Amino acid sequence: MELPQRDRLSELVEELTTSGQPQLNQDKMKEIKKICKVSNDCIDHVYHSVMSQLNQEHAEIRLSAFQIASELFSRSHHFRTLLVDNFQELLELTVETDSEQPLPPPKEVARKLRSLAIRTVQSWQASYGMAYKKLALGYHFLKQVKKVDFQDAEARTVAERRREEERQRRMERIYKERVEAASIDMEESYPDIEATLTEMETCMRLLLPEFDLTGIHTTDSSPPISQTANDCPPVDEQPCCSKDLKDDGSEGMIEKKEESREENKNDRGEEEGKERSDVEERGDKAWSDGNEREEVKGKEVEDGEENEEDQEASSEEEEEEEEEEEKKHLDEDLFIRNSGLISHSYSLDLNLSPGLHVKETEDNEAVVSTVIDLHKLIKTKHLPAVQGWIQVFTKSGAEEQLLRRALDLKKSLEAALEKHKELHIDYKTRIRRVMKASSDGDEEDDDDEDDFDEVPEKEGYEPHIPEHLRAEYGLDPTPSTSTAPLPKKTPAKRPAAPPPLSSTSSTSSPPSSSRRLKRLTEEEQDPTCAAATLRLLRQNFPPPAEPSSSSGPSSDQKAADAPVVPFGLDLYYWGQEQPNAGKIIKSASQHQFWVHAEVEEEVENKELLAESRSRYISFPGSFTPVSHHCRAPLGNGNLCQRQDRNKCPFHGRIVPRDQEGRPCRQEDRLREEQEERRKREEQPDWRDADLMRDIEAATGEDLGSDRVGKKGKGKKKKYPHLSDLKQSANTSRSRLEKKVFNKSTMRRVADVLSKADSRKHDKFSNQFNYALK
Amino acid sequence: MLGFLTARQAGLDDPLRLRRAESTRRVLSLKLNPDRDVDRIHGNGINSLDIEAVEGRYMLSGGADGVIVIYDLENFSGKPQYTCKTVCTVGRSSRHVHKFSVETVQWYPYDTGMFVSSSFDKTMKVWDTETLKPADVFEFEGNVYSHHLSPIARKHSLIAVGTKNPKIQLCDLKSGSRIHVLQGHRAEVLSVRWSPRYEHILATASADSKVKVWDVRRASGSLLTLDQHNGEKSKASSEAVNTAHNGRVNGLCFTGDGLYLLTTGTDDRMRLWNSATGENTLVNYGKVCNESRKRLQFTVSHGCSPEFVFVPCGSSVAVYALHTGELVTMLRGHYNNVDCCEFHPDYQELYSGGKDCNILAWVPVLRASDVEEESNNAIKVGKKVWKRHKEQLCNQITLNNRLIDR
Repeated sequence: MELPQRDRLSELVEELTTSGQPQLNQDKMKEIKKICKVSNDCIDHVYHSVMSQLNQEHAEIRLSAFQIASELFSRSHHFRTLLVDNFQELLELTVETDSEQPLPPPKEVARKLRSLAIRTVQSWQASYGMAYKKLALGYHFLKQVKKVDFQDAEARTVAERRREEERQRRMERIYKERVEAASIDMEESYPDIEATLTEMETCMRLLLPEFDLTGIHTTDSSPPISQTANDCPPVDEQPCCSKDLKDDGSEGMIEKKEESREENKNDRGEEEGKERSDVEERGDKAWSDGNEREEVKGKEVEDGEENEEDQEASSEEEEEEEEEEEKKHLDEDLFIRNSGLISHSYSLDLNLSPGLHVKETEDNEAVVSTVIDLHKLIKTKHLPAVQGWIQVFTKSGAEEQLLRRALDLKKSLEAALEKHKELHIDYKTRIRRVMKASSDGDEEDDDDEDDFDEVPEKEGYEPHIPEHLRAEYGLDPTPSTSTAPLPKKTPAKRPAAPPPLSSTSSTSSPPSSSRRLKRLTEEEQDPTCAAATLRLLRQNFPPPAEPSSSSGPSSDQKAADAPVVPFGLDLYYWGQEQPNAGKIIKSASQHQFWVHAEVEEEVENKELLAESRSRYISFPGSFTPVSHHCRAPLGNGNLCQRQDRNKCPFHGRIVPRDQEGRPCRQEDRLREEQEERRKREEQPDWRDADLMRDIEAATGEDLGSDRVGKKGKGKKKKYPHLSDLKQSANTSRSRLEKKVFNKSTMRRVADVLSKADSRKHDKFSNQFNYALK
Repeated sequence: MLGFLTARQAGLDDPLRLRRAESTRRVLSLKLNPDRDVDRIHGNGINSLDIEAVEGRYMLSGGADGVIVIYDLENFSGKPQYTCKTVCTVGRSSRHVHKFSVETVQWYPYDTGMFVSSSFDKTMKVWDTETLKPADVFEFEGNVYSHHLSPIARKHSLIAVGTKNPKIQLCDLKSGSRIHVLQGHRAEVLSVRWSPRYEHILATASADSKVKVWDVRRASGSLLTLDQHNGEKSKASSEAVNTAHNGRVNGLCFTGDGLYLLTTGTDDRMRLWNSATGENTLVNYGKVCNESRKRLQFTVSHGCSPEFVFVPCGSSVAVYALHTGELVTMLRGHYNNVDCCEFHPDYQELYSGGKDCNILAWVPVLRASDVEEESNNAIKVGKKVWKRHKEQLCNQITLNNRLIDR
């Protein structure tokens, strides 16, 4: 065989095996076959090169080599004899028959190689097994000793299968243990959870008698009427509305109403009584309309049984509205006298809660706190535990009964949580209330006070009204505007009709300002009210001057334009002569004691004087961004995109350049060429890395070719297509390990430690416990 | 060959000469032959093989699964293809089967009606071939590594047994009892071998790296302890005195004439000793891979002019020239370690058993006649010509078809 053929074959085999491709390049394979046809020597050569590639510790190389071998195997008898002669080695290298020689990484490719090898061996056995004894022997060996299942898709050997089985068994055992533990756990905590659930339910029933779990579950099918009302909110027949009677003009009253309405779910009668007593306390409140009162009460309760009453109430309400319309036209005084109502116009504030709403009061405080505790317990302890069990059961495929039980538990727990959420218990007030209750003990009208500040009731003129109380007094927050509309405030100017209920009913917020204003005007009609007095006063006295807001708007504008300068001496003595500017006390002697006191004299310094009167204002000018680029040609063919003003840190002074990045001016071009020449001279020709490597290989002496080669662009990979085995090893951990467990580092650390130790030893050697060490 | 034949015809040569030359040629051409198979009975590794000396027809094999099989090696079918059939088996279903791995099997040298097997179940059984029942069972305190019956003994019928116990037991078939103990070794005795030349001479190899040669008529001590350094103290440290190997000695084999003794050890060496003087002949066989912790059964050719040694070496069988130490060839065919090999002296065939459950028959390749090859070539050429004709015909037909289509 000629030498070129030989070389070409080795080259081809190497190229094919180091391509890293899962399939062979058919052109190259064809070339190999063509050369192999020439003589048996060629086949010998190919065989040896393939075998040497098969011995490489890289699964991709082996895979490709095996593919070459299998292509040639079917073509050439000579190759078959050669390969079958060395069949043990082939099997060791491709099927992993020797457990001490595992297939090399990458794992994925190794698995592929093995399954391919097994499949190929089987097909070889089918077609050539008769003729080649060793092939048949190898096949039987794989089949009977290694127990390779040729039908198995994964082509696992018996050892692997056993390992897999063992793993499975172990997992099963673990799962079993876990299931047992979980079921025991469940058994133990089942009564606990049950108790919690029952407690929760009872608490909820206490808070809201008709509210139970079933109610929530069946919301879709047969909702209680109270809930339908909640679901479709804004109609004026809404039962849970409250009448806002503008008796004292304070929002506190309204809030109180709302609160009490929400509270009285438990004990309505009691609440009612309380309410009545409240009303009675305020003598001026005209809470005489019993009918209306009744109606309000009726609406406040969200019970199914009171549905009829609700409807009744709503109809009454409608009637009432009509009444109001009529009343408007009547003379107010007459109205007041006749009806005994303070206001002749009503406005209704509808407070619509999106769902149920439970506000905590003193009465249900204990219950609510229990609910909170239970809620927390369920959320943090029971539910996660149950979820964990379910996970364990589903993963390990435990008994259905257990799983169902756990699921039931979870469902009921979740239902309880859901229900709790629907209750909308107000916790914030609770915290406040708790504090309050502890401070002032138990009072009869406690609910009044939590929304009011304790102020002495005042009638008559209050010359100074604090800003924060203005709203309460029915005054607008800013006096400047409050003074202005005074003349408009005539009885004729009273607002026409109260806004329709439906418009206001959409919010549960306190009455709007317009409402308040209206109420204010109403109140002014009432001679017993403080507002009326105030109006009188306002009419009689001129408005008080307000010094703070006296400055005109023009001066404000000027101030905005003026520059802000730091405060200095010049500003301090603005428009005056500075008393001792530029004067310095000059003492003839620096000494403290040996000199007469009179000797001190003042010297005027012109510069200092000027300094104290002048002011530096630095003017840097405005910033203009750089618009040009460096545009020096880079190695990759691009132009440098840096935008420096004068000088690029990489390419020096920025000079005008043409399209290709060459300097436009002749002298720049010359300079650049010169620089390049100099640079080239620094790296002489003989330091060419390849040449040096060749010389080193020939002479066996180290000329430092690695250094030269590496300095430029790092290490060149020999086979760029193969997957890098070292890459996986190059993790942050390994890099750190390399640093931390470096020999020198270890030594250094050890030195430091021993030094510290010895110092201690020196210091405390007279103490026995250190001396001993 | 023809030269030998004419010389024999003319009476110039000794008949032995032709015989030797031919058998040497045959040994050198040993190959794995697709025509010869041995039944696969053993489900586990094969530890021991023995071919009976009376007819050379039956072969015993003992496996690591405790099974003992007897094969018929003779091919009476008249065809070249032959699978050695199983005559009978002491299988796992048998009541008398060895519980553990059978380490050694051996025919009674004078009759195929009896054979002896020893096993790791601490017993040695003497079997009746007809009934396949043990005629006698010897029990020992430790695993039995090896036993041997003297092939030439006329005056005694002793079985030497090497067990885990350093003492060598001598069992008498006549009385069915252990009559004698040879003391001297310090570790388990891995191999025992009677001399084929003197019926009272016994060689034993032990894990204490010593090989001792005994005369069983003298109970007081061994005749010789083989020394790898031949007594040169300077080369040996004091501890290594009188050791045959620097490791366990697990193989022993006398040459056919009994003049030389071969030993193998776990130091990957094989040594050839003069059995009369106990002198190390210092033949260098190179490295002979040997990792076995048990007995290694290897064999020597018979009736060739330079004799050959067949020794298991990893997954192959190495063939060495006995006296020069030259590696002749490696017989590669097993897929796992080879534990035993046995030479058939009549047909120059080699049987080897290994851990891959195979018993492979290495059969001399017949010399192919040249005439046949030529005729084959002629046929090939003819075929090629025919092929070319066919292609041309096909082309013409397709052309014609196209023309017709137009």
